[in-house]
Amino acid sequence: MIVLVEADLQITLPVGAVGRKFDDETAHGLSHCMKAVDFIVEMEDQVLFVEFKDPENPKAQTKDRAVFIKKFLSGQIDGDLKTKYRDSWLYEWAEGRVKKPIYYLVLIGSSALSDADLLARTDSLKRQIPMAGPGDRPWKKPFLAGCAVLNLAAWNKTLPHIPASRVGV
Amino acid sequence: MNKITHVKLENFTSFEVLDQAFSSGVNVIIGANGTGKTHLLKVLYAACAITVGEDKERGYALKLRSVFTPYEGRIGRLARRHSTSVKTKISVTREGGSKLSAEFSNHTNKPEDVKTIGETGWKKGELASAYIPVKEMLAHAPGFLATAAKREIAFEEVYVDIIKRAFLPKLMGPVDKDRQRLLTALQKAIDGKVVAKGEYFFLKNKQGDLEFTLLAEGMRKLALVWLLIQNGTLLAGSVLFWDEPEANLNPALMGEVVEVILELQRLGVQVFLTTHNYVLLKEFDLRKQKDDAIRYLSLFRDKSDAVSSNASDSYLGVDPNAIASTFSSLYDRELKRSLGGIKV
Repeated sequence: MIVLVEADLQITLPVGAVGRKFDDETAHGLSHCMKAVDFIVEMEDQVLFVEFKDPENPKAQTKDRAVFIKKFLSGQIDGDLKTKYRDSWLYEWAEGRVKKPIYYLVLIGSSALSDADLLARTDSLKRQIPMAGPGDRPWKKPFLAGCAVLNLAAWNKTLPHIPASRVGV
Repeated sequence: MNKITHVKLENFTSFEVLDQAFSSGVNVIIGANGTGKTHLLKVLYAACAITVGEDKERGYALKLRSVFTPYEGRIGRLARRHSTSVKTKISVTREGGSKLSAEFSNHTNKPEDVKTIGETGWKKGELASAYIPVKEMLAHAPGFLATAAKREIAFEEVYVDIIKRAFLPKLMGPVDKDRQRLLTALQKAIDGKVVAKGEYFFLKNKQGDLEFTLLAEGMRKLALVWLLIQNGTLLAGSVLFWDEPEANLNPALMGEVVEVILELQRLGVQVFLTTHNYVLLKEFDLRKQKDDAIRYLSLFRDKSDAVSSNASDSYLGVDPNAIASTFSSLYDRELKRSLGGIKV
């Protein structure tokens, strides 16, 4: 069973799924010009791009947590999340690996955010990536099958077969 | 000694027993429809209203009847509906321990048959107040007071009262720094000042005088608050009751409204407001400063269908939070739609 870990957050992949650290300077090799999501997980019928944001990492400073929550609520984080997806998608496409529907999952390690806040960011991310082509018609080649911004509770409720947790717990 | 500190309601409308202490600052009342949020505001407002002006001549029971307008004026209809006879009791307490009580049963018809206790002592200290109802009224002011006085329309008295307060003349003397800051902030939001000509209100700005009927309803409400601050209705020691400040207001203006409410609280105005709006709640949570006093009061129906309350001084402690749970349901369904295709 593969466990993907980044600082204090981790997800456990189901049997048969393959995951790799994508935001790794050496393996990625183009960090100077392309942003990257933390992990790429290959499942039988789909691919998951996974990004962790962890303001409640025990090692994080209180000041940094407050700055993150402010950025999150004001939507300033959306641009960063959007670019990570686009650049990662482009990288994978150019490597000839975009063959299955891709889902983008952003896991936020924060208990201070309400479902309303997470819903607002999910909506915003769908608008920014964007999920539909011009005139709101579907892209001829799907660009994104689905995306969501989740906290640990929402992740485990929605994706029980890919459990997420804190490393330290 | 002007803040309302406590209320106890027994068998009143939807409440079986409500025993609740209040914040001396802002009290934010949330709950689903039909949990008695507006009833609570009106009970407290009636208690304030009888300490000032012409309402001083009237008793608490009569004022209660006027703001609730029960069918045929029968005060007993405000008792909690039950298959047997019920005794209703209302007690409002303020700083210093002064207490106003009213007792009646579901059979009580006339206000004079209501047993009120402590009314004389209660009226000794003035408690200036304003009640802003959900529906905006200034645009309908012309002729309204005369018609209401002839009892030709069955409007709850809160509508009459707010128009009367809006018509009060500008407070004389210099405007202190804090009030001026509030007035300036509101002027920026409504882009002008309010002037009255006879019974007509206008927004005066660079374009000239705009009739209130031409203004967006949300703007008229902000204009009303400007008037109440300008004419001294809302001063330190007064109480503001605001039923759903968010009604007809663009969410982008919500932050300014919350800032005005917090500023009023900092000046010493006690505030009671009801809301169904997440943005308004969240704005309070985000704009609250260390010394601001905010209490969230959640009204909900318990297993016996009677309304109960939970209070919390922090936003995250609000339970149940009818507004947030609506978003949770939306979020759940959004996640199912967005990620439902992920299969093992």
